[in-house]
Amino acid sequence: MIFAGIDAGSRAIKVQLIDENNRTLASGLGEQGVKQADLATQLLEQTSAKIGINRDDITKVVATGYGRDSLEFVDTAITEITCHARGVIHQISEAKTIIDIGGQDSKLIRLEGQGVVQDFVMNERCAAGTGNFLEVVARQLEMDILDLGKYAEKADKPAVISSMCVVFAETEILGLLTSGESRENIIAGVQASIATRIASMGGRQIADPVIFTGGVALIPGMTSVLENTIGHSVVVAKDPQFTGAKGAAIMASELN
Amino acid sequence: MKTKNSCHPPESSFSAGGQAKESSPVEPIAWFQDMVPHALEYATEEKAKGKKIVGIMCEYTPRELIMAANAIPVCLCGGSAEMIPPAEVYLPSNLCPLIKSTFGYSIQKANPFLEMADFLVAETTCDGKKKMYELLAERHPMVVLELPQKPDDPDAFQHWIKEIAKLKSELETRFTVTITQESLRDAIRKMNRERELRRKLAELMKDEAPPLTGRELLDMKSLISCIPEDLDLFEKALEVLPGRTLDPPAESRIRVLLTGVPLPHGAEKVMNIIESNGGLVVCQENCTGLKPLLEDIREDTLNPLEALAEKYFHIPCSVMTTNARRLDTLRSLIRDYKPQCVIELVWHSCITYDVESYFVRKMAEEETGLSYLKIDTDYSPSDSARLAMRVQALFETVRGKR
Repeated sequence: MIFAGIDAGSRAIKVQLIDENNRTLASGLGEQGVKQADLATQLLEQTSAKIGINRDDITKVVATGYGRDSLEFVDTAITEITCHARGVIHQISEAKTIIDIGGQDSKLIRLEGQGVVQDFVMNERCAAGTGNFLEVVARQLEMDILDLGKYAEKADKPAVISSMCVVFAETEILGLLTSGESRENIIAGVQASIATRIASMGGRQIADPVIFTGGVALIPGMTSVLENTIGHSVVVAKDPQFTGAKGAAIMASELN
Repeated sequence: MKTKNSCHPPESSFSAGGQAKESSPVEPIAWFQDMVPHALEYATEEKAKGKKIVGIMCEYTPRELIMAANAIPVCLCGGSAEMIPPAEVYLPSNLCPLIKSTFGYSIQKANPFLEMADFLVAETTCDGKKKMYELLAERHPMVVLELPQKPDDPDAFQHWIKEIAKLKSELETRFTVTITQESLRDAIRKMNRERELRRKLAELMKDEAPPLTGRELLDMKSLISCIPEDLDLFEKALEVLPGRTLDPPAESRIRVLLTGVPLPHGAEKVMNIIESNGGLVVCQENCTGLKPLLEDIREDTLNPLEALAEKYFHIPCSVMTTNARRLDTLRSLIRDYKPQCVIELVWHSCITYDVESYFVRKMAEEETGLSYLKIDTDYSPSDSARLAMRVQALFETVRGKR
């Protein structure tokens, strides 16, 4: 039997197909857009084609993520909090804290024993502590987002980015560039400001082990900044941007 | 989220075994859906007969004293998002929406109760309200009650009694009336009766299968207290509601205790999000819920003014320091109403409730083991999808723990 999880995020759509033993058979990644349902359907079909199956061969589908309720063809929708927790627990059963940083959301999930969600905190109406902040900076400094880490490593003194808002941070960064601040220090400063946001979400209640998920976990340098800021070692989940989709697929296999 | 404007004929089907669905409200519920027109009709008629109208903006303001001066207290708290942009011309945008909306109504001259008010009684509660009142006082005659904020300090209480006594004189001078012991006792009896009826209605939610939704209960009150028809309908509600079933059934929903800031008329966004995502608000510890109803005023006393001051001084608002009474209230409400989680609503920039949420979360999680979620928002619907996600995730968490 084959089960599917679709994570319709704010910036990207992720699909995971698994078998009844929770083994990943195929993954798909596509950009999010206006026609969310069409894009998700296409991605599911493309991913199915990779292993030579049709939609009809999929027993159950669970959707999660920002666009989960716009996908009518799925069996049920479950929030990304529950799906991320499920996805992480499958990989690292003793996980206690999950830090997920996505395109427009960041969240911190605390787990009780057996992967039960104890509570969660999310960023409020602002993208400052999210991947969007890094995208803006990469665009402004005209570099690839995946190269940011290489520069940040060379920073001698991370710049202080005080703006609470991505829009104003852009202006602040422009000011720093004009005043001759190095790109390395600016990037390190932005990464540190994201990590500080996450640390304030967690308060003093971060318990080990801490697992890092979401697309931002793929950006080199973020993990070490996060570790320094929260004072705990951080483990990046395997295929971190697929954690939600994997959790959704596992939950699909558990639907009766 | 628009409420119906037209008056609906009373439902006739509710008597058939009390099996009415949520979608077909029984008569008392339908009556309160037109609360604003009813209150306006009442205020207009009474004003024509010579009664005075006094605008109030806080549950600390003793309605009984105003009623004893043969005047009608009307709640002016703004719940409309549309009134915020005009208010932001004068007030900072980083201010609580309730304060901005209340002021915006004055700028737009859009609140008929405010326009017909003879004067306003304001109070020194939070800084935002206190300073907004200074702007509002340029536009409307106003008296300000100074609320002391150390609830267990006897000197603070003595000061509060003096403030109440000054309000009494102010009412007597402005309206050339005498507030007698008897008129005050009469007003106290009336308000005690209303509080008792509303308390009993709220207590229906203790049932394993509550017969009404939190939203329906929230709507069953008025900007004006003690309107005779309202009291009759509270009594009727207590007769007809028990045994009513909800659709989807109450048993399938997650029981929620909602605490924090009030939900003035028009600002029911968070209540609606909770109840349309599988929740049922069984208890509201806030000023539009049980908070002002939990304590009555002693009737067997030689000093009704002091008894009145005492009841109001006990309201556990987050402006008080320390506000241990709120935590005690929450503990007993959690015991009685058996919620499965606690949701705290904080209007954006409401500093006192936001800071105090630290203690509420700690109490909920550590003492009662209940999941806790804080929602920080304003009147705009723009974050509804994000809030719904948090609420859904909270309910999934609660179900996961069971």
